[in-house]
Amino acid sequence: MPKNTGNVQTMSTHSSSETKRGSLAALARRPETGSLIGFIVVFTFFSILGGSVFMGPAGWSSWLNIAAEVGIIALPVGLLMIAGEFDISVGSIVPAASMTTAMMAGNYDLPALVAICGGLGVGVLIGFVNGFLVTRTSIPSLIVTIGVMFAVMGLTLGLAVLIKGSTSVSYVPAPLAKAMLGQFINYMFNVSIFWWLGFVLIFFYILHISPIGNWIFATGGDRQSARNAGIPINKVTIGLFMASGFCAAFVGVVQVMTYQQAQVAGGQAFIFNSIMCVVIGGVLLTGGAGSIVGILLGTMTFSVVNQGVFFVSFDPNIGSIIVGILLLAAVLSNDTFRTLAFSAATKKSRG
Amino acid sequence: MDLVSNLLRRPAAASVLSLIGVLVFYVVFGGVDFGKLMNAASWVNYAARIGIVALPIGLLMISGEIDISIGAMIPAGAMTTAIISGYFELPIIFGILGALLIGVLVGTINGLLAVRTKVPTLIITLATLVGMQGVVLAGSKLFTGSASVPLTAPEWAKTIFGQLMFGGSHQVVIVWWVILAVIFWFVLHQTKYGNWIYAIGGDRESARNAGIPVNSMTILLFILTATSASFVGMCHAILFNSAQVSGGMNDIFNIIVSVVVGGVLLTGGFGSILGVFVGALTFAVVNKGIDFTAIDRNWSNLIIGVMLVAAMLLNNTFREMALRYTPKKGGKS
Repeated sequence: MPKNTGNVQTMSTHSSSETKRGSLAALARRPETGSLIGFIVVFTFFSILGGSVFMGPAGWSSWLNIAAEVGIIALPVGLLMIAGEFDISVGSIVPAASMTTAMMAGNYDLPALVAICGGLGVGVLIGFVNGFLVTRTSIPSLIVTIGVMFAVMGLTLGLAVLIKGSTSVSYVPAPLAKAMLGQFINYMFNVSIFWWLGFVLIFFYILHISPIGNWIFATGGDRQSARNAGIPINKVTIGLFMASGFCAAFVGVVQVMTYQQAQVAGGQAFIFNSIMCVVIGGVLLTGGAGSIVGILLGTMTFSVVNQGVFFVSFDPNIGSIIVGILLLAAVLSNDTFRTLAFSAATKKSRG
Repeated sequence: MDLVSNLLRRPAAASVLSLIGVLVFYVVFGGVDFGKLMNAASWVNYAARIGIVALPIGLLMISGEIDISIGAMIPAGAMTTAIISGYFELPIIFGILGALLIGVLVGTINGLLAVRTKVPTLIITLATLVGMQGVVLAGSKLFTGSASVPLTAPEWAKTIFGQLMFGGSHQVVIVWWVILAVIFWFVLHQTKYGNWIYAIGGDRESARNAGIPVNSMTILLFILTATSASFVGMCHAILFNSAQVSGGMNDIFNIIVSVVVGGVLLTGGFGSILGVFVGALTFAVVNKGIDFTAIDRNWSNLIIGVMLVAAMLLNNTFREMALRYTPKKGGKS
């Protein structure tokens, strides 16, 4: 706790040099503040304990590689949660897409581009099914996407065994495809890190600059009012589910290109990991609030904890405990920050 | 006709129809061997495993909350028993009490956080899920140095919690499941506490204003879910003579699916114990019963996914029928 306050101070001095006076209160009301504090605390903690190895390229690459994979999925999952919906099915789309790509390119010898499009297409299609079911029925998206997850898992496994007769397909990608999607730069940094940053920029534009962003916030804030205001909430919802399907499929394709193998299982970890990144990043689970910077910070925090534990001397399983505590701290502080934000109209705010 | 529409308006209707649907599907496409299926223990054992946890989860979901930390509590209960009675060789009773105690503890934490903060319970229990996974893994490494701990339970404990019975491979947890289902049915449908739970799930604020102790009920329900999960873990540790730290993650979705198929409304206020019971049975028939058909078991997840969405659509239709019902003419299906 004392450590926390210390970081608030450091951060506030940084920002007050850039912005006007009184920005401390404004800063505390921003949704990202909690996640920034969390990231600084966690990163400082592991850089002290992890020493030069963690601070060196080995450490950076290990957590950035993890962050890129989960981060690409966390972005649309975060947008969905801002719009008040869940997507559990990402956990089954990742292996479905990688199996599709590997099977099309490795088994049927189609060009890499076609196979990649096939993999991504599977993701977009599943996303559309999710969105269609969520908007056309009154079933909560949590249940719809659990159902779709089971169905896609079954389809992937069943079709793989039917067509290939095995649960894994190996595939040696063409050099160009490998270089674009699965190369390790300097033998350490996966090229997907750059894709992740690209996705961050795109989603930042969508959420914070384009009008679609306002639609997403409005949909999550009050669905009925949003509809009355003329926002095409069904299209927004379906579009977001297709985006999360696409992004999950993208990660699946990247995995094929990187590991040169696709497996039926796996991907389950992405479900809760992506949600955790988003929540640590300050997105309200109930919709209507959140930011891309927050999701980015949440993803980085999660990945640093996830990988940092391997660079320190204690049991790596402690990492889970830290993530759990972070998660609680994040939501509790979000609670506080949000109360501040909504009650800060004229009152004097604290630092 | 009146009877049919009366039956369809019950929360359990969709789960019963799902079960029938799955069985018909097995007969038509799978050439199921009913004799073998009825005598087989695998799916009943599995139904009991998820069913025991599904009962309190059903109650919790009727009251409008959700608990996913159960995924960590099943291995936690198993490990606690195995560490206390297997590794430290204390009498088994301490292991059993320890497992139940850790359930009560985690349930209390979940419940307190749920009533004291405005954080959605999905996130609270996600945090305790990850946290407890770490605690269990790190704890077992710390105490025993391995991720799997052997346990030899005395005969009486095996008889009560683990022993196979009927000379076959049926487990005692089945009996526990049925007994617990009767108790939960009594509580939910015959006592005032059941009405309280429905009221809390229907409208929390009004329930509070009506004098219902909303907070203590919520905490109690969270204690029940966590403890029932650790109870299942404990039974398994005694049955299989060992405990592993892994596993349990799949149970989260499996249990939620069986509760939802059982006709419980995710947003609270609607559901029944019979539905939850049949829901767990249905899930187990799909997941394990498929081995007794000609269908490749790789497709079982596809069936579950389709069944879930279909059951939900049915549930919604039936619920609307139930809520719109005025006793002059029942809706036809």
